[in-house]
Amino acid sequence: MQHYCILSVYLLKLLIKSFIRMKRFFLASWLIASLATVLILTTSCNRDPELPNEEELITTLIYTLTPTAGGAPVVLSYRDLDGDGGNPPVITTGNLTANTTYNGTIVLLNESKTPAEDITAEVRAEGKAHQLFFRSTVSGMTITYTDTDADGRPIGLSTQLSTGARGSGNLTITLRHNPNKAAAGVAQGNIANAGGETDIETTFDINVQ
Amino acid sequence: MCSKTVYAALLTLLLCLSLLAASGQPCHIHVRGRVQDVRTGLPIADANIWLEETQIGAVSDSMGRFQLSGICPGQYHLRVSHIGCETLRLLIALQKDTALLVALDHYSKVLEGVVVKGSAGPTTTQKLQLLSEQKITENAQLTLANMLEAITGVSVLRSGYGIAKPVVHGLYGNRLLILNNGIPQSGQQWGNDHSPEIDPLAAQKISVIKGVGAIAHPGGALGSVISVESSRIAREPHLHGRVTAYGESNGRGLGLHAQVQQHQKALAWRLSTTLKKNGDRQSARYWLRNTGAEEVNLALQLEKDFSNRWHSSLYFSSFNTKLGVLRGAHIGNLTDLEEALQRKEPFFTEPNFSARIEAPRQQVSHHLLKWRNRITLQDGRYLDFNYASQINNRKEFDVRRGGRSDRPALSLWQLSHWANAEYDTRLGKGQHLRTGLQLIFTDNANNPETGILPLIPDYFSAQAGAFALWQKQHKHSLWELGARYDFILQNVAAISFTLPREILRYYNRFHNFSASLGWNHHFSEAFKLGWNTGFASRNPAINELYSNGLHQGVSGIEEGYPGLKPEFSLKNVISVEGHLRKKLFFEALGYAQRVASYIYLAPQDEIRLTIRGAFPVFQYEQTDALILGCDASTAWRASERFQLQVKYSFIYGQDVIHNQPLVFMPPNNLFGSIAYEVPRLGFLEQLEVELFSRYVFRQHRLLPEQDFAPPPPSYNLLGMKISARRHLSHSHWNVYVKADNLLNVAYRDYLNRQRYFADDMGRNVSLGTVWVF
Repeated sequence: MQHYCILSVYLLKLLIKSFIRMKRFFLASWLIASLATVLILTTSCNRDPELPNEEELITTLIYTLTPTAGGAPVVLSYRDLDGDGGNPPVITTGNLTANTTYNGTIVLLNESKTPAEDITAEVRAEGKAHQLFFRSTVSGMTITYTDTDADGRPIGLSTQLSTGARGSGNLTITLRHNPNKAAAGVAQGNIANAGGETDIETTFDINVQ
Repeated sequence: MCSKTVYAALLTLLLCLSLLAASGQPCHIHVRGRVQDVRTGLPIADANIWLEETQIGAVSDSMGRFQLSGICPGQYHLRVSHIGCETLRLLIALQKDTALLVALDHYSKVLEGVVVKGSAGPTTTQKLQLLSEQKITENAQLTLANMLEAITGVSVLRSGYGIAKPVVHGLYGNRLLILNNGIPQSGQQWGNDHSPEIDPLAAQKISVIKGVGAIAHPGGALGSVISVESSRIAREPHLHGRVTAYGESNGRGLGLHAQVQQHQKALAWRLSTTLKKNGDRQSARYWLRNTGAEEVNLALQLEKDFSNRWHSSLYFSSFNTKLGVLRGAHIGNLTDLEEALQRKEPFFTEPNFSARIEAPRQQVSHHLLKWRNRITLQDGRYLDFNYASQINNRKEFDVRRGGRSDRPALSLWQLSHWANAEYDTRLGKGQHLRTGLQLIFTDNANNPETGILPLIPDYFSAQAGAFALWQKQHKHSLWELGARYDFILQNVAAISFTLPREILRYYNRFHNFSASLGWNHHFSEAFKLGWNTGFASRNPAINELYSNGLHQGVSGIEEGYPGLKPEFSLKNVISVEGHLRKKLFFEALGYAQRVASYIYLAPQDEIRLTIRGAFPVFQYEQTDALILGCDASTAWRASERFQLQVKYSFIYGQDVIHNQPLVFMPPNNLFGSIAYEVPRLGFLEQLEVELFSRYVFRQHRLLPEQDFAPPPPSYNLLGMKISARRHLSHSHWNVYVKADNLLNVAYRDYLNRQRYFADDMGRNVSLGTVWVF
């Protein structure tokens, strides 16, 4: 922007010089030109844009499945550290064991910042306005809610996942903001009547071995 | 009611005061006069003439003549009213017997075109259509774009009802120039859901120039221009003004507009203010939640003659609005959109009316300050020096987590300066040359309060332009030749989409050229032909080059392309206008426009994964476009009282490289009306009943892959309007009742982006009154 500043200053000097030999009629034009120059000076010499504080961004979803009978947890994660656009997301998945029950916990993070911001707490605090939905195409897999909001309706940050026979398919996790939590089937995890806006929708490929 | 083309300059020309026999005895002055039509010069019978201060009146005879007697010397307000015409009011000084010639515009209602005959200053060969002050005040509940829809060939791109932007001959946004009191409106025109921030009620005249490019104005117009103007303050030492109030059933809206003006020796001034509010609109079957709107506007105009050669005026206007967006139209991803498309009524629909405006909503302020100077030189030459600055502040609020709904998701601040000098001279007989220089500086900044990466980057742009426009009047022909050049600098500071976030700088230079040639010819009083051809280029706008982000409203990722080149347009317009024995009036206009390197948002093969799901990617690309169309209107004036009118507008837009239709082309439409006027009924005067119907065809020219949902079916809306006037001794009242969508039809409009989610507006009955004093 620097060259505009220099240009503007030069223009202003020129105008001041010309004012000395001014005719009355052209006073108006002089005033207009100088006013414009002064204002251009103030606008053209601007600075770098300020970076917004992206505190609302969700970059990461981690679904940790710990077998109730003990053993190593399975971690499903979706990470898009620079948000929409830029580099593509990194999705990691894991293999589940047939006929097993897992305790599932969801963690939501904004990892574009250091240290990373925990969004989970924000969703829990606004539990009445949020719900996570789990839809699986793997036959025999069921997911039930194990947490509740202030109205006694599920949020979905804590769940229990049970696998059936071996098979494969996918699992879609959806976070809805402002769903109608009282609508039919919504408390049971049916998304059809929920409405609201989708804040998260990620799909993981799942193998049950 | 017929429109008033009588603004100050015209008025002084039309009212010819010629002095007769001298002897000024007290209270024995005779006034003789004739009332005639401004277009044809034919006499107008049965016009009411009223001298307010004396309470003396007369009615014109079959030759248009009238006589008033026994008047004392002094200043008087003379009022002339006639069925089908706007009431004319003049201040006259009577010292002796006087003869008056009064011209009324009797046919303006049958034709939208403008009387050029006798108007001051340079005219144009381009087709100009007008909304008069009366039409503006009798549609006080409408926004600018919704008001302009009454003109053939003008369509409206909406996001709901209140968020509306005009489309002329298929072009809008960056390609359509909107002049606010002669200054190119500067704001965020690129957004399809950004309506122009102008209060039409503060204006006295709104015109649409269906042209081939704006030679005298910068701003990249590829064709038409919309101009909203306030007239010069009439030389009237008394306080005059008008007060408009209305109420409407749909949305339970109320509005008030007041305007007062006075021309004093030291200073002439006009002050106007508008207040509007409505709550949730209602479709035929359900309430449209969160579709309320609020508006508070103010305008002040000051005029002063510093000498008999230097006229100066200062105009300030402030436009402030808060607009709700349908709650059910706020979605998070493509799955949500597909779900919304399947629904009978949108999510979040409630059984009750509400006047609250919550997120998603827009809050926009626009302020304009303009200082205009005209220095009149000898031989009708003049010099203009103008300066204007505009501040545009747009905030858009989304439904957000963690109580952030009160924090805007988009917050843009724009400051622009405009300076110009213009020189107007006559070159010999019937020749006119207008030349000018313009400078524009725009500083556009995102406010980081959003906490979201901005959709368009910060930028600074500077533009310098020069033009020359030559006109020659030869017998019954008017020739026009013009050329323009603009140099544009863009200095852009964008934020990277990769980590760590950094500032990316781009410097661009563009050159725009335009040229136009026009001719019109009056073959006779009853037939006029016009032809215009124009070349124009437009540099890519900032959003087309660098926008980057998720457009939740349309469930797509929109990406600019920094390698875009300017687009070039060649447009031809042919227009005819005339009448057969003053019974059958017709106006027709055909146009063909070819735009090379036409910039458009093209769907990409890529589906991009984000944490909200997968989204289709759209990127700005260039192609060659062809737009063909015609606007036709005809009126049959069966008698002085009865009139039939039909208007039709056709448009065809094609991407000639990919051989597919252009998106967002207005569907063809047909408008018809029947009007009957009664000169007097009880205490009411000039009672008019009008029935109208608007048929909008289905936009069948669209491929399934070009949109998320097929274009909605055709629809027909019926409406009715009853208006009447009452003249009092020193003022007059207009009263109107209007019903739109009389049959409460459930419909969706192709150009309304709310169509994916909900029906359009249901029946709306409005009642309004205008008091002119």
